Amino acid sequence: MAFLEIDGLRKRFGQVEILKGIDVELEKGGFLVLVGPSGCGKSTLLNTIAGLETITSGEIRVDGRTINDLHPSKRDIAMVFQSYALYPNMTVAGNISFGMEMRGVPAAERQKAIDKVAKVLQIGHLLQRKPSQLSGGQRQRVAMGRALVRDPKLFLFDEPLSNLDAKLRVDMRIEIKRLHATTGTTIVYVTHDQIEAMTLATKIAVMRDGEVQQFGTPAEIYNNPTNLFVADFMGSPAMNLIPATIGTSGNALSVVLQREAREPISLPMANAPAGLSAFQGKPIIFGVRPEALTDPEGAERNASHIATADCHIEVVEPAGSDTFAVTNLGGKGVVARLRADANIQPGTNTPLAFNLTKAVFFDPATETRIR
Amino acid sequence: MSAVTTPARQASGGVNVKVINRIVIYGLLALFALFYLMPLFVMLVTSFKTMDEIQNGNMLALPRAPTFDPWLKAWGETCVGLTCAGIKGYFWNSIKMVVPAVLISTMLGALNGYVLTKWRFRGATLVFGLMLFACFIPFQSVLLPMATILGSLGRFGVTLQNATGTSFGLGNPTVNLVFVHVVYGIGFTTLFFRNYYEAFPTELVKAAQVDGASFFQIFRRIMLPNSMPIFVVTVIYQFTNIWNDFLFASAYAGTGDAMPMTVALNNVVNTSTGVVEYNVNMAAAMIAALPTLLVYVLAGRYFVRGLMAGAVKG
Repeated sequence: MAFLEIDGLRKRFGQVEILKGIDVELEKGGFLVLVGPSGCGKSTLLNTIAGLETITSGEIRVDGRTINDLHPSKRDIAMVFQSYALYPNMTVAGNISFGMEMRGVPAAERQKAIDKVAKVLQIGHLLQRKPSQLSGGQRQRVAMGRALVRDPKLFLFDEPLSNLDAKLRVDMRIEIKRLHATTGTTIVYVTHDQIEAMTLATKIAVMRDGEVQQFGTPAEIYNNPTNLFVADFMGSPAMNLIPATIGTSGNALSVVLQREAREPISLPMANAPAGLSAFQGKPIIFGVRPEALTDPEGAERNASHIATADCHIEVVEPAGSDTFAVTNLGGKGVVARLRADANIQPGTNTPLAFNLTKAVFFDPATETRIR
Repeated sequence: MSAVTTPARQASGGVNVKVINRIVIYGLLALFALFYLMPLFVMLVTSFKTMDEIQNGNMLALPRAPTFDPWLKAWGETCVGLTCAGIKGYFWNSIKMVVPAVLISTMLGALNGYVLTKWRFRGATLVFGLMLFACFIPFQSVLLPMATILGSLGRFGVTLQNATGTSFGLGNPTVNLVFVHVVYGIGFTTLFFRNYYEAFPTELVKAAQVDGASFFQIFRRIMLPNSMPIFVVTVIYQFTNIWNDFLFASAYAGTGDAMPMTVALNNVVNTSTGVVEYNVNMAAAMIAALPTLLVYVLAGRYFVRGLMAGAVKG
């Protein structure tokens, strides 16, 4: 039995169904990230776990106990809010101990708990300050301190990093990951940033329109997306999703990609997924991540199945650590990720290596994966 | 703007136009300020003059031998109707009425605003809309119905008095006025607080809920301490309105010992016996005006401070 279990959870506001039957579970000490575009219901889902929103039907269990109708304070959870929600009229120490004060914890014990948390988060020197006297990163720390001090069964984070600038966000992301590793707490984390999801999670639930599109480990989500939406949403730069058709070369299937003003590319498939044979002569979506499309010298040595084809390079973007090259296949801009020192010029025809072991295929009609 | 379209004028003409604009603006402002302050000036200088000087001198002239006697007389000796013990009793009457009326209506407004924004219920917007009617009702139209209600309350007070030995203040004119001002103040105070709390971050309330704070704990520990600016605005507004009210005061406590300051002042000035003592009248009027001034001066500072705190919060 998992530590956090959500069964068939539905949430309706009047006629509008915000959550359409969510089934998710998380083991003790796990890190679940709910990710999706805005309006997908991820924050609502978090609020229902916190008890700040009621649910229409379904069940939420933490450690075997059903918490559906419990008041937020009785659920043994702590929450970090997007705006940090620090009480502006109280000092940092007051903010951290407010929950304990409400539960009637004696002052001496409160002080001990404050000191312990302050040490973990290195905010000891800030305890007597008001939130308005803190920087963004410090406020973030205090907000986490307020959650940590409760030592709850479950931590809930609602887009905690979205108000920080880019550099600080990366620092705090590492800090949260370190905190999770050292304290071993169970965390549910909401974000719209797929990089945060990939880096932090032990389990990811990709959501859209109130439904979980895919639930799995970061590697599963990244390498084996179940549909077009997940493939497109996860990964940066995004996966290339190229309209293509299935043809034959010899007795194997091949993927045919249209090129501008030249004959199509035909990539022979040595170990095509079984479902693909039904699509002979039909259109499909061919998905290949930018790192699986590279210069032949930089291609993965141990990949079993690499096909090389000449491509017309339209734009070259040196990004420092990598060089991105944009070509046009199937009428769409396609991004290839090359080594930083790859010798490539825009406007030339250059051979690119397709790592076909990493390629995925989708049915354009249903947008689901062809396996 | 003209400097942008014709760069050549920027050096000479542009600057001159600017200066002339300033002179015109400040000149007009000074003129209106003078116009506005003139009556106050006349009141103030008259209240420090002797009757001789008033009758023989210029209204705008400064007092030749300033004297506090008119102020002392207004406070302690002048006749209000038939009793000649000054206005001090009526001054305290007003204080006794204003302080509870302001505090109760402000607190109720804060509570209403809190519920209407952070504990939304079905029809909250409609309830708020209906409460706004209280801001538009002309008070003359409620004089008689309210008199009937106060009369019933008074009779109930007598019944209570006979049954339990105390009327719980029902029927007392000061209590009646507090009641009337609270009822008619709630519309405005709710409007003020509701609009302030509308912009108040709801996440703070949610965080407090997760922390285990109850409905009233959130109100007292989170909402109220962060409401200083609107609290001060509401207090200034309510204090000024209730202190200056003449209509309700004269209708429900127009005679007798519970008469508020405004009615008493009217009686001082309208006295029909003897010489009209302008200096005493002016002093009495100044005394009547002082509390509202004081509230503004004292609370206005907190108001500005509150705004600054919000600005830094970011």
